[in-house]
Amino acid sequence: MRRLFLILLCCGTLLTGCATRPTDPEELKIYEANNDPLEPMNRTIFGFNMAADTYVLEPAVKTYRFVLPSPVRQGINNFFSNLKQPLYLANALMQGDGTAAGTIVKRFAANTFWGFFGLFDTASHMNIPVVKRDFGETLAVWGVENGGPYLVLPLIGPSNVRDTVGMGVDSVLTPVDWLLYHERGLIYARQSIDAFRTRDNVNDLMETLRKSSTDFYATLRSMSQQNRKKEIDTLLGKTHEEEAPAYDFAFPDDEFEEEE
Amino acid sequence: MKKFYALICGIMIWTCAAQAADPSIEFVNNLTDKIIENVLTTQESTEDKLTEFRKEFTAALDLKSIGQFVLGIYWRKATPAERDAFLTAFIDFTTKTWADRFDMYTGQQIIFTGTRNAEGNQLYVDSQIQNNPPVEVIWRLRKKKDGFRIIDIIVEGVSMAMSYRNEYSSFLQANGGSVPALTQELERKSAAFQFSENKK
Repeated sequence: MRRLFLILLCCGTLLTGCATRPTDPEELKIYEANNDPLEPMNRTIFGFNMAADTYVLEPAVKTYRFVLPSPVRQGINNFFSNLKQPLYLANALMQGDGTAAGTIVKRFAANTFWGFFGLFDTASHMNIPVVKRDFGETLAVWGVENGGPYLVLPLIGPSNVRDTVGMGVDSVLTPVDWLLYHERGLIYARQSIDAFRTRDNVNDLMETLRKSSTDFYATLRSMSQQNRKKEIDTLLGKTHEEEAPAYDFAFPDDEFEEEE
Repeated sequence: MKKFYALICGIMIWTCAAQAADPSIEFVNNLTDKIIENVLTTQESTEDKLTEFRKEFTAALDLKSIGQFVLGIYWRKATPAERDAFLTAFIDFTTKTWADRFDMYTGQQIIFTGTRNAEGNQLYVDSQIQNNPPVEVIWRLRKKKDGFRIIDIIVEGVSMAMSYRNEYSSFLQANGGSVPALTQELERKSAAFQFSENKK
């Protein structure tokens, strides 16, 4: 996996190089807001991801949905999502967020004991909120607020430099995997199932977006950047007023009234 | 204990009254109520739902502002006829893609948490869809002579207008900045659109 990533990275960079900065000031504004200097390389990887998705993941998800009834799939989803809780807890603690840590412990306890080893999401019935914390966020709390340029990772998808590092740390930090230390096969199985159920969970949204977008790459880039920024802003305790504006472009106001 | 209940009731009545008194919240609330009642929870066919949704939605949107925003620099370069053609194709296709996900609604309630002023005659209405975890939805409105119009909807930090703007500017850059080419692409995708069948 790691080797594949490096190979693709090298090929992508060599073949396509960096994006050219536009000279038109308005176009330059858009270019800078996109924060995607490696766009040609990212698009190459994105194309590979889409092909893998069309020929492997999507058919697999369709088969999975056809073969297993919804409650069973839900159970599988709950079980593996429960296994992630210790990782979320570790991150919440590193972020110094006691409240989040408490909620995660409660969720984990409720689902593990009353939810039959995590097969049932008892915690949600008890109104314990879902809290997820990853190492990319931990880095943000530690001061790396700016995630750096946009990156598309092979088979994983939209990310940025900070979150790629975070994902790497998360993958070796997952406490459940330590218990399985001598069972590499089980660890890979868990990671594959995680990737697969994530894809399954976003299937409907992906389908709609793909059908509706004139440039799917640009749509995903924009949406994932905005959403991640919001997650980080919320985590850093910024109020709406303190958040940097979601857009660098104002809605036409005065200019408009004149036209009418 | 009784006093406590009285206090809670008092606060509830007060907040309800405060909510109802704010005309911008009332505007969005009316729209979401109508869409939940006449579109999301009716037993009508997808076509009928779509027609109803488009009617309600188009009336509530400030389409021209949105068009100008999502096309950015290319709006200025387009002729009035090209702009109108784009707006028609845009709203037609957008409502269709939204309608594709009507089935995601499973009875969630929406609560309004407040309003904030934005620049000029614009304001935000904050709301939350009751889910686990809750989904934050911010409505960006513009005050016009005859009432409010929506210019953007921001779901969990994702601004619809901004997403369309980035998507379209990327498409337009690759297509020589031709707005008619974008309009054609939207019409082509719209004609080929089929509603999803496989549901969870």
